[in-house]
Amino acid sequence: MTYFRAVDPFPLESADHTKLHEFYSHLASGRLVTTRCLDCRTTAWPPRGFCGECTSDRFEWVDLPGEGTIHAFTVQETGLPAGFDGRRVFAIVKVDVHRVFAVLVDADPLQLRIGQRVRLAPLRVADDPKGNARWLPAFTPT
Amino acid sequence: MRGVALVGAGVSKFGVRKASYRDLIWEAGKVCFDSIPGVKPKDVEGLVVGSVMPERTAFQSHISSLAAEALGIKPSALSARTEHMCASGTVGIRYAYAFIAAGLADLVMVLGVEKLNQPTGEEAILNMSAGVDREWEAAFGLTAPPCFALAAQRHMAEFGTTEEQLALVGVKNHNHAAKNPNAHFSKGATLDQVLGSRMIATPLRLFMCSPITDGAAAVILASEDRARELTDKPVWIRGTGQALDGFQLTSLHEDYAHWPALKRAARTAYAMAGVGPHEVDVAEVHDCFAIAELIAYEELGFCHKGEAGPFAAAGRSDYGGDVVVNPRGGLIGCGHPLGATGVAQAAEIFVQLRDAAGGRQAPGAAIGLTHNNSGMGEHVVMIYGRERA
Repeated sequence: MTYFRAVDPFPLESADHTKLHEFYSHLASGRLVTTRCLDCRTTAWPPRGFCGECTSDRFEWVDLPGEGTIHAFTVQETGLPAGFDGRRVFAIVKVDVHRVFAVLVDADPLQLRIGQRVRLAPLRVADDPKGNARWLPAFTPT
Repeated sequence: MRGVALVGAGVSKFGVRKASYRDLIWEAGKVCFDSIPGVKPKDVEGLVVGSVMPERTAFQSHISSLAAEALGIKPSALSARTEHMCASGTVGIRYAYAFIAAGLADLVMVLGVEKLNQPTGEEAILNMSAGVDREWEAAFGLTAPPCFALAAQRHMAEFGTTEEQLALVGVKNHNHAAKNPNAHFSKGATLDQVLGSRMIATPLRLFMCSPITDGAAAVILASEDRARELTDKPVWIRGTGQALDGFQLTSLHEDYAHWPALKRAARTAYAMAGVGPHEVDVAEVHDCFAIAELIAYEELGFCHKGEAGPFAAAGRSDYGGDVVVNPRGGLIGCGHPLGATGVAQAAEIFVQLRDAAGGRQAPGAAIGLTHNNSGMGEHVVMIYGRERA
């Protein structure tokens, strides 16, 4: 079937499509990285194309911890967009000083609590139109 | 700056409509022109159209020109579309206001329109995910309900707000909608019905959420002199404020029970209007979800921080209370055709301040407020008065 961008819910993650492609290639190998400004040393989340503090566009990729804690969560039972099935647990995960939005996978909603430790568990989603694997950051209870 | 007033307003029937995008524009435009017999399409110098996603729902861009032609307007001073997700309509009103106040136009229509329902229901929800960040949020399947559910979770944990208090907002707004012939829902609701409705995102149940709705609304704004020529009951724009805290969930205030951007937008609007929260008689607030109405009471200053649950439960936001909130039924009862919502809120304040709201009338309403947001971190507040100042 012909590919249409307007009904693909996932980002195009490869170097052909985004300046942030290294974020996704690191994620595929199990690392959560983000951008740090080489001039003012501010670490951003999510990664940025130029620094919102000093406006420099010189940055390096730095690793964030692979573990964090649940800052807030909710369980969506119904009304998910087309292509997303079942009960879904959305969470804000505190990773170092950053708040990361993600889904929790392999999580029993009744057992979850704020402050609970979770670890990075990258989630593979549908391949891009050229057959490249695509990944999103997700977490799972430790 | 020159004074600016609403001189006309009209709203289409809201709901799951057997109507095209253009049908909805015609419907709201017709009732708006009917509300002010002295104004014909040829008199209108400008048009601003608030509409969020016609590219997805009607495969249509180039919206302001399409709408102008449908309405018979040939803009000579201003033609534009505003897209600011759920606040697009009020953002459009602010543009028209500023144009008129600056002397660049005397008579401008603002129309909001959205045709959200699609032959396939799943597509309508997929489209709604376009309103959050594609790469960092929507790719996970995020839409609005879980965002506001997170705020509800925090408000309950921090202030002891209960599911019953959230449900009472749904009861009030469904019951108000039952008196509004243009509302999406007409049957009203009991507390048991709201608490027994299906869970969408914990703790928000179906009757605590706004539905996916088609609809349109239009208002006509005029300069002070023009307004006085056209009507003896203009409704004056007294103040306006807009503030943004953040777009992505993770750039908002850390505690989603607090909406500092709404507080800032309200402070700006109150200062400009020279009124305080306790002088507001009638308010249309953005109850996309019940928790949003409760937090709005607090950040708008109708009650103290953390006290919105008891404030609602005591009936202080209903007829006979401190301020009548969402007399037309709000987004929960009327539905939420994104770009049309802010304009429909203004249209309700227009009839309320002219003592023309019939069975929904807030007795003696002289000061009205609208609050429209796009997410938890982006807010617009307008204050209207029966008197110029």
